[in-house]
Amino acid sequence: MDRGSIEKRLNDQKDLLTNLVSKAKSNGIEQVEIYSSYGYSEDVSLEKNDLNNCTATEENMFGIRVIHEGNQGFIISNHIPSLYASIEEAYQLAKSQSTPDPDLVLPEVRPITHQIDTYDPTLDSMGIEDLVGYAKEALGWRSDLYEKVNIDSGDFSLSKGYKLIVSSKGVIAHELGAELSASVMGMGVDGDLVGSFDYDSASGFNKDQFQTLWKKAFREFGDKCMGALYAKPTSSFQGKVLLPPEAVYSFFLGLFIGSLNGTSLRKGKSKMAGKLGEKVASSLLSIWDDPTNKSFMGSTGFDREGMPTSYKKVLTEGVLESYFYNTYEAKKAGLKESNGSATGGAQSLPGCGSKQLQIAPGTSSKDEFFKLPGKTLFVNRISGTKDGASGDFSGVIKGGYLLEGGEKIPVREVQIVGNAFDALHQIEAISKEGELLGESSFVPYLLLDGFTITGVTEES
Amino acid sequence: MRDLLKECLSEESGFVELRYHHKESRSFFAERGRVESTALRKRTGVGVRVLESGTWGFASTSEISKASIQNAIHIAKKAARLSSALRKDKIPNLPKANFAVGDFIGKGIEDFRGRSVDEKLKMVLDIQNEATKQSTKLQSVGCGYSEIYEEKAIVTTDGADSFFSLVRPEFRVSAVAKDEGKLESGSHSIGVTGGWDCLFRNQTPSQISEEACKTAVDLLSSELPLGGLSTVILSPSIVGLLVHEAIGHTVEADFVLSGSVAQGKIGHRVGSDLVTLCDSGYSEYYEGAGGSIPVDDEGVIPTNTVIIKNGILTSYLHNRETAERFGVAPTGSARAWEYGDVPLIRMRNTFLLPGNSSLEEMIANTKDGYYLDGAKNGQADATGEFMFAVQKAYRIQNGKITHLLKGVTVSGLAFDVLQNVDMVSKEFKWDLGSGHCGKGQPAKVDAGGPYVRTKVLLGGK
Repeated sequence: MDRGSIEKRLNDQKDLLTNLVSKAKSNGIEQVEIYSSYGYSEDVSLEKNDLNNCTATEENMFGIRVIHEGNQGFIISNHIPSLYASIEEAYQLAKSQSTPDPDLVLPEVRPITHQIDTYDPTLDSMGIEDLVGYAKEALGWRSDLYEKVNIDSGDFSLSKGYKLIVSSKGVIAHELGAELSASVMGMGVDGDLVGSFDYDSASGFNKDQFQTLWKKAFREFGDKCMGALYAKPTSSFQGKVLLPPEAVYSFFLGLFIGSLNGTSLRKGKSKMAGKLGEKVASSLLSIWDDPTNKSFMGSTGFDREGMPTSYKKVLTEGVLESYFYNTYEAKKAGLKESNGSATGGAQSLPGCGSKQLQIAPGTSSKDEFFKLPGKTLFVNRISGTKDGASGDFSGVIKGGYLLEGGEKIPVREVQIVGNAFDALHQIEAISKEGELLGESSFVPYLLLDGFTITGVTEES
Repeated sequence: MRDLLKECLSEESGFVELRYHHKESRSFFAERGRVESTALRKRTGVGVRVLESGTWGFASTSEISKASIQNAIHIAKKAARLSSALRKDKIPNLPKANFAVGDFIGKGIEDFRGRSVDEKLKMVLDIQNEATKQSTKLQSVGCGYSEIYEEKAIVTTDGADSFFSLVRPEFRVSAVAKDEGKLESGSHSIGVTGGWDCLFRNQTPSQISEEACKTAVDLLSSELPLGGLSTVILSPSIVGLLVHEAIGHTVEADFVLSGSVAQGKIGHRVGSDLVTLCDSGYSEYYEGAGGSIPVDDEGVIPTNTVIIKNGILTSYLHNRETAERFGVAPTGSARAWEYGDVPLIRMRNTFLLPGNSSLEEMIANTKDGYYLDGAKNGQADATGEFMFAVQKAYRIQNGKITHLLKGVTVSGLAFDVLQNVDMVSKEFKWDLGSGHCGKGQPAKVDAGGPYVRTKVLLGGK
């Protein structure tokens, strides 16, 4: 499967979907949107420090949305010959409802200003043989450098595809993409001693970018597994936590960003409702969303509704500057149109959210965080739970360290409890260094104060 | 379908496994006085797995034709040959298994077909409208009904030849309450393998809704418990989470081979005498457990696998490959979520056997502790350290339940927690049939058991 054949498939499908939408309109179905997601991938998986499986998969999914007099029906299918029947089925689903909302309509066409194509044709010269080669290399790194690290699972993937949207309002947009990616999960094992799981991944537009990032990710994975292997329980204390970029993004920030979702705001589930223009976080924190940066993976010129994406400020020095809206939620909020923040793909209705979050670097050196006086908990990962409405989170720290007197002591069986909205004000410092997570979001280290840390040993 | 698959295999030598999978998921959701979404998801295809030169190869196709399936077999074989050069630990062969042969039609399918879209829409809308009247503090109540209907045909060159179908309905209510700027959530959900009557056998939709709303409102006036190692009585839903997360994952044989804490522990004491733990493809005690399967995704008839008997570890969960490595019979635990997924070792219905105490006795015998109820999410680690989140923690003081606290995260080391089990109730309940377990791919599972008293680390203030 190369770029030429994918482009041909895309062009054929544009014609097919346009014809289906026209046919629906001529049969009285006024508002139809079809979102197509096509992917071809070759994968090599690892298990138990060995190669496990080679796979080749191809699938085209279609999300068909029909809106009839303020009611909506949605069908997801991977069966091209019955797509028109699925449009009719979605229409019937919409007609069977009795709670119309006049604000529920498909968006009108808007020009897409950022053309993004992340398909590097050099990937066409690669195939499953290259993935087997990468797998061999990674297994070699493990045996040479991290003999005590067991790879529970891993995956190398070469994926290519496109997304395409066509609607009866005249929206038509597409993007091609291709990437190399890899991930690894495992733990340190030394005799009867077993460490916590850890995980890392990398992806790239092309071979060179991928190889560089993957080598770095694998080393970080190995170091984290080894660090967790000799972890010991610790006692409870009140104090500071240091969040590395992964933890900032995956746990702490997710709750805050989720509260800016137009749907949560409308339904009274967000603590950030009515806070636009207010200071909701430490002045140290500034965040923006930039899906138009072509150098980032996952950047896109249009959203789940085919509306143009754009750069937007989210938080400037702690002051809230924007929410995320799709067309429906924008109308419910009294706005004329969305701000290009419809999320999702073929298998879901348009949601609302960010795409490429960036956090402004701070002025501190992250190395200084490791030498603070007193006790600081370094939170590599939180295995836990979070509540979007209240902002409460709690969980077990994985791969964590107690930083005390310049020492870095690996700890296990430690829990942390907090509230994400309160934590926005508990930020004490932000590092100038950070990481480009998923090659798309820059995230620095965050140092926060005032947390309850629960351990299992008695206070010594 | 079995005939088409067998035709595709007629000229094949070596091991080839074909798995046809058609899945339809319907969902209806109402919130704030209107139907917010209705969706139907249809996905069909064939997953092809081959074992060649001691290595697996896999390919899939969404086109159900002989030519397309045979092409996928060709691609899978090529993939296996490519990987063979690298794989060190070759798979010599696969063991004989108790293969499923014939058609296995699940209960409740007629019920699922017989109920109209209108009926399901009306139910979610009515329940949602009714719920919001319960308290002025309720900001939002969402009510969802969903069902997954599946058909699978599994045919292998070494003897599996089956077709099965099943339906899994779910019902859920989630509520958010607000008071003086404070927001709290409550949710309650159920899920079964079977029809509508099976789904609402123990609780009506209104009762489920009342429970979720009450939780959200009650939590507005709750505080965090004191953190630390605590004596806890776990409700069946929490026991389900415990046995699934804390033990179940560590005894999946692929995970054992990677070095999980259960490695080398067969025959060892890992729990108190009161602990007997099983994982079954069937719905023990009563029908409807959400992870029930008539056939696994390698075409094997699933067993009721006794993992721990009176505290002694007796078995892991196996697919055909790991059964060969351990020299035991496959347990019928290989499962795939979609046709494009490779089968993995997964739990089905995991449960602790009931004991002799009553819940009242257990509370009365607890001087200082917590009663934990309302399962949320959970995760397990290679170390045996697990976490699970609970909605509600009731303080127990001097043998009596006193007040409600926010249930936060509970953690511990799997085998320590089992060793500390000192009371097990007579009552039994499946209570984890909604939602999914994740392990690279999702799976429908269930879990449950009696009320259990043990010690865990409770996160708190």
